[in-house]
Amino acid sequence: MKHIVYISRAVRPLSDDDLNALLSQSRHNNARDGVTGILFYSHGNIAQLFEADDAVADNLYERIARDGRHSHVQKLVDKPITSRSFGDWSMAFHPLEPQGFTTLQGFLLPHQVPPVPESLAIADALLVDLVRLAVFGPDPSQPYQHPVPAPLT
Amino acid sequence: MPTPPFAQLLRQLPAGVATLEGAELRFGFVNEAMRELVGAHSEGKPLAEHRGSLPESLPGVLSQVLASGKPYTAKACACGPLPGSKDCRYFDLAAEPYHDDRGRVTGLLLLALDVTAQEEARQQAHELALTTRHLDARLRVLTETAPLISFSLDAGGRVTYVSPQWYRFTGQPPTADLTAIWPLLIHPDDRLRVLYQAEAARHAGTGWNHEYRLRRFDGQYRWMLSRALPEVHLPDPPVFWHGALTEIHDQREVAEALRRGEAELRFLADSIPELIWTANAHGLIDYYNQYTTAYSGLTKDELGPTGWVSLLYPEEQPAAARAWVESVTHGTTFEGEYRMRRHDGVYRWHVVRARLLADASGPRWFGACTDIDEHYRLHQVLQTQYDELARAHHDLDTFVYAASHDLKQPTLNLRGLFHELSQAATFHDPDQAVMLRLVDDELSTLEHTLRDLAATVRSQRAQQEPVEVLDLELLLEEVLLGLRPQILHGNAEVEINVTEAPGLLYSRANLRSVAHNLVSNALKFAHPDRPARITLRSYLTPDDHQPVLEVRDNGLGMELDNPDNPTFQLFARQHTHIEGTGVGLYLVQRIVRSQGGHLTVSSTPGEGTTFTIYWTRPE
Ligand SMILES: Cc1cc2nc3c(=O)[nH]c(=O)nc-3n(C[C@H](O)[C@H](O)[C@H](O)COP(=O)(O)O)c2cc1C
Repeated sequence: MKHIVYISRAVRPLSDDDLNALLSQSRHNNARDGVTGILFYSHGNIAQLFEADDAVADNLYERIARDGRHSHVQKLVDKPITSRSFGDWSMAFHPLEPQGFTTLQGFLLPHQVPPVPESLAIADALLVDLVRLAVFGPDPSQPYQHPVPAPLT
Repeated sequence: MPTPPFAQLLRQLPAGVATLEGAELRFGFVNEAMRELVGAHSEGKPLAEHRGSLPESLPGVLSQVLASGKPYTAKACACGPLPGSKDCRYFDLAAEPYHDDRGRVTGLLLLALDVTAQEEARQQAHELALTTRHLDARLRVLTETAPLISFSLDAGGRVTYVSPQWYRFTGQPPTADLTAIWPLLIHPDDRLRVLYQAEAARHAGTGWNHEYRLRRFDGQYRWMLSRALPEVHLPDPPVFWHGALTEIHDQREVAEALRRGEAELRFLADSIPELIWTANAHGLIDYYNQYTTAYSGLTKDELGPTGWVSLLYPEEQPAAARAWVESVTHGTTFEGEYRMRRHDGVYRWHVVRARLLADASGPRWFGACTDIDEHYRLHQVLQTQYDELARAHHDLDTFVYAASHDLKQPTLNLRGLFHELSQAATFHDPDQAVMLRLVDDELSTLEHTLRDLAATVRSQRAQQEPVEVLDLELLLEEVLLGLRPQILHGNAEVEINVTEAPGLLYSRANLRSVAHNLVSNALKFAHPDRPARITLRSYLTPDDHQPVLEVRDNGLGMELDNPDNPTFQLFARQHTHIEGTGVGLYLVQRIVRSQGGHLTVSSTPGEGTTFTIYWTRPE
């Protein structure tokens, strides 16, 4: 069992339909494959943490890294864990039309994202806090626009 | 005249055929093709009147041909309503005189061959040639003036063209064998690589893009960027490569300098025996210096973007993580003291500092963790010693207080007994009276000393006393009331003037103690020749508005070593002939200093003394 955290940039801003498609595709696959975690999206900035069995996680990261919807995929952490910290897989973002989303399974408004689970090591919890800050800015209740810098070499 | 099968043939000939008969050149035979030129019903009519689309000048010319009897041809004559217009057609015209039996010229055979298509093609070719020449000229100007060298190679790697800039740059003569000399001008360190890359590209049929140093006319090697693309005509393999060579020396130098600068900084950071790191604007660490990995025993990957926090003492991690998120959120400096785990598991105290600085590539965090373990331990030892001293001091105070308190009653008893004794007993000694007075004096001194010691200890306890805004007038009046017997006895005059600074934020007990001691001091050291005049004045210093109490007398005055910063020792006395314990001024000084203030004295022996109490510490 391991978890992986990465950040990336959408190739172009994702529309409500794009996000909806990504949410249902990933919810479906992740429930099937035993993948849990959370994805943050705002104005083209993406960060995700997911947990799964080693082979599943590596395979998923491979698929995600090759996905044409985003680029500059930068892995921040890839390390073994003893147990899961997330009960399921969800996605937090600001839809243009939030009405249609609030009832969707696995959807969260950015300011409703629960605090980082206690079971994460402090270093990993800190990482999640920092990438959330990078994606949503200091006030997650407001859509936030700024570029996440290009990955480092 | 042609016989029928010929007539049939001539009629259908795709070239125009007509006979023009007699001096008037009347149309005789006119075939289909010619009819299209001259129109129908031309037979029997003179050419001049039925010219159709034939050129205007033709009848005149043909008359001359008839007269001369010599054949005539005109190439590509424009025939049509408007020469040059769209409908205009071109014909090769030929006129052949024919003769009668006696050899006289009787007419002309006119042939018209449509060459419109050829003529148009010729004209297009001409225009094309013009455009090509124009383009060519433009290309030449461009290739020969642009600040780059253009070149062409064939599939065998032979140089087939190079623009004149090459000669200007290299200083080679125009006769130079380009293919042979070029490789020799490449820097020896780059030569093999460049030749190999170019050859590989030619084999693969691809372009190339590489940098190398080329020798300039002055012998200097300059960095060049060489880019070339194959000229492709599918399906054949490329036969030519065309490219350009641009000088990029200065850019290279700058980039090189930047790389070197970065490398030097890294080298520096790696040589410093401190944990040094940088993070991007989002607080994710992207660089740890070598010392960090050596200290922690973890690789850069193991440390990761937030791994530093896991080096901290476990209980301190959550707070440190929160503080870091806080700093990243607001861009504020991060600073704290933390224990960090060394590779051997030992935690050492560090002060961790990080600041957000902007360089050319945007804002970045620069952090350093300085080992303060030694300082920290020293500090701890000092703190322990300080605490012990403070406790000892306190114990001593308590002891002095208790002792002075406990001695008070026996002293009182002693005085009582002595009184009884001096009343009841008789001594056979002429000095009896003196002796009794001496003992009495000493008893008084003992009493005062005990009282003052107790007061000193009390004043130290009072350092933490609550402060309040005091009405100075009221408080000083109270103090004077307490000293009334002495004032009356010395016939002294005391004046209070607090109008300039009527209030003061101070502890009541402390202020009372200071005023009491200063006034009683002034009363005690009054000049024997004149009644004491004492003024108490409260005011603010003109420059920084510090509250001040001035106590001025006209008494004995004293000798001072250092009037601006006098020190008064416990039990030190200036005027030994006057009773007192020498505790008063010491006490005043202690109180004033403990509250951050200070005092100065000015005095002229025989004239008087002025004490100035500055209550607060100047900002
Ligand atoms: C930002 C981002 C996050 C993604 N997260 C997941 C994920 O958590 N699980 C998943 O199965 N696919 C995820 N995908 C989609 C995969 O890249 C890939 O399209 C998908 O797994 C293909 O599987 P499918 O065609 O079987 O649905 C993500 C794609 C993007 C762009």
